[in-house]
Amino acid sequence: MIKEKKAPSYPIAIDVKDLSFSYGKTEVLSSISLQILQNQVTSFIGPSGCGKSTLLRCFNRMNELIEHAKITQGSVLINELDIYEKSVDPIELRKRIGMVFQNSNPFPKTIYQNVSYGLKIQGFKNKRKIDEIVEDSLQKAALWDEVKDRLNENAYELSGGQQQRLCIARTLAVQPEIILMDEPCSSLDPVATARVEELIFNLKQDYTIVIVTHNMQQAGRISDLTAFFYLGKLIEFDETKKIFINPKMQQTEDYISGKFG
Amino acid sequence: MMKDQRSQSNRFSSGNNRMVNLEKIVFGITRILTYVILFCACFIFWDIISKGSRKLFTDDGFINWSFLSESPQTLHVIEHNGEISKLSSDEYFKFKEELSDSAWDELNSRDEFTKVQKRLKANLVTATEVTSNEVQKSLLTSFIQDEQTEATEKFTYWMELLENASSHAPDFQVSSENMPYLVGRFILAFLDQTKLKYSLLETELSFFQALHYPKIDHLSSQSIQKIKLAYFNLLEEHLHKIWEAYIAEKKNLKENINDFLQSPSPTSFSTLESQIIGYMENPLLLKENSASLLEAITSDLQWIGSEHRIEVPSKDYAYSGGGIFPAIAGTILLVGGAMLIALMLGVCCAIFLSEYGKSGKFLSLVRLSILNLAGVPSIIFGLFGMGLFVIFLDWNVSILAGWFTLAFMVLPIVITASEESLRSIPKGFRESSLALGATKWTMIRTSVLPYAMPGILTSAILGVARVAGETAPIMFTAAFAMRSELPWEGLEHWTDFFFQGVMALPYHIYVISKIPQNEYTVDMQYGTALVFLILVFLLASLSFIIRSRLRRKFNW
Repeated sequence: MIKEKKAPSYPIAIDVKDLSFSYGKTEVLSSISLQILQNQVTSFIGPSGCGKSTLLRCFNRMNELIEHAKITQGSVLINELDIYEKSVDPIELRKRIGMVFQNSNPFPKTIYQNVSYGLKIQGFKNKRKIDEIVEDSLQKAALWDEVKDRLNENAYELSGGQQQRLCIARTLAVQPEIILMDEPCSSLDPVATARVEELIFNLKQDYTIVIVTHNMQQAGRISDLTAFFYLGKLIEFDETKKIFINPKMQQTEDYISGKFG
Repeated sequence: MMKDQRSQSNRFSSGNNRMVNLEKIVFGITRILTYVILFCACFIFWDIISKGSRKLFTDDGFINWSFLSESPQTLHVIEHNGEISKLSSDEYFKFKEELSDSAWDELNSRDEFTKVQKRLKANLVTATEVTSNEVQKSLLTSFIQDEQTEATEKFTYWMELLENASSHAPDFQVSSENMPYLVGRFILAFLDQTKLKYSLLETELSFFQALHYPKIDHLSSQSIQKIKLAYFNLLEEHLHKIWEAYIAEKKNLKENINDFLQSPSPTSFSTLESQIIGYMENPLLLKENSASLLEAITSDLQWIGSEHRIEVPSKDYAYSGGGIFPAIAGTILLVGGAMLIALMLGVCCAIFLSEYGKSGKFLSLVRLSILNLAGVPSIIFGLFGMGLFVIFLDWNVSILAGWFTLAFMVLPIVITASEESLRSIPKGFRESSLALGATKWTMIRTSVLPYAMPGILTSAILGVARVAGETAPIMFTAAFAMRSELPWEGLEHWTDFFFQGVMALPYHIYVISKIPQNEYTVDMQYGTALVFLILVFLLASLSFIIRSRLRRKFNW
């Protein structure tokens, strides 16, 4: 039923083994197993409430902050290490695994302070080093040319798309290995969306990217692998082309062709 | 068709007259009541401002700085040369001094004064010579002997009374069982008399009385003997003490006499005069020969006094003169410190409640108790503060006790508002902070608290008005009715600053409303009330300005 197709040239970044997750008594994920590959874009699609965001948040233990939420079964391995082991410090984990949220939510500070925030809280003192990383991150997020003259302006003066790219730059500044994106383009206009998508495509070379999206076309455009979730279950997981052109499961086909969702 | 429609164009007119009338009535009532409230509010403010400005502004329309910068004083209303003037104590005594200075100058130019001065000089010199040390020593010895003889006679009589009541005092009609009690009363009365005679010995005699009271209460022939011995010792020992005091006083007196004779002035005269009176009250000096001399001196002094001292009759009104500066300073100190403490405690509590606390029974219990705390009457906080801080922690009536009492009173406001404002910070800030590898505290410190600050300061604005206005909590814990010293004056050690009471505006209004009322106290009340209103307004607008600045800085 579940298709585990590995592209042989890429090592496994995140290995989810038989994971179940519940909020209180409601089970939102049941027995999920999938493998996310390094330097690939993996997208999670599915109707609202299917658990795709929850699974994403399991990867950096952000779910722990919600009361009564817990993993009931299974494990998540990153670099072959179970991240739910007691010895794992979630703070350290989150430094390695960056996250970009649905709403662009820069802090109400200057652009520079936003990008350097992660470094500041980690105790970086060297001003020149910070400057370097800030510039580098903004370059990578394709924002440098637009903001280099106004680094000390409030981040809220940027447009929505720029804000989202600023959030990506902020995430890049702490030098993660994996970037989780939770519907990063849902509140952006098509032009801004296109820019972010382009950015994601470029980031793929250096980072492993997992993206949750409502927009199936987007998944088709940017991702190498696609997972389709429905009611807390992983229905199908395969190369994007196969999912979109020749889905194995009826539900997948119905969703992609717009019969429900 | 068209005609039909036109005839039906009125189908939206109201068919139900009752509902329309009800609507009108409700509208009328709500409107009238709103206007009544508006009128009351305007009246209160107009009343305070119009009456208070009589005190706050001078007749020429300038701000009355002395009202804002002086301590409360008694108001003296005097009539001088047909002119009525209102003077505070300081001004009144200064005025009197000026008058007597000019009278003294006039007196100085009169021949009579030179004559009196000469006579006084001669008499004073004789008086101090007559009472030279040697003579005085012999006087003292005979004086002690006289005292002892008198006491011996009394004690002998009492002892005989004790032993044989009927033979010595048949007219007493007292049975021999009651005699010891009666004699005991005699002894106590005798000691009281001696106390009156020698005021310098008052403490020693009281101590003596207390020490021997059991014996006096249960007299027997042995115990009365002991009391007699002890009393004689006391005289022997302490009459010398009076002697020493006298020597010192005499030295002092001689200096003062010289002062006066060399440079006669109202001040040196007053010093001399008061000393001579003390000198005369000393029983050791009241020997026949010096008594007439002293009398002559006194009459001369009296003459000089009456010639240059001018009485200025005045009507006195307590608390109605001077200003309210100590109260203003005290209120600012109380409000500032209490808000600082309340914000620190309240914000910590709010952080725990909104960020760390796991919802459950404990948290609802905490919330419930905070809500209940908000309903406690302020006088109860006053009593609580007195019990805990003033008495149990032994801070006495002090700023510190007032700070904590007031802080506890506004804590519910601060906690509720701060928690509300912490919760209103978007989830996104918290999540992105955590996702960037922040610990929970780092997240709170860097991306929650700064943005919640405007909301927390809103609570401070509410708190300031409450803290500044409450009388009851500070009545027992921090406020003095009258203290002319300012809080930063006369501190021996910097910690003393926290352990002193202060004056406060609301308590001052309370105090001047409790004393007998007249037009001057009313002016004072309204003046204080107006200053109080302005002060609260200024304090609140200060936090308002800080808040809007923060809002502008952290705008999202």
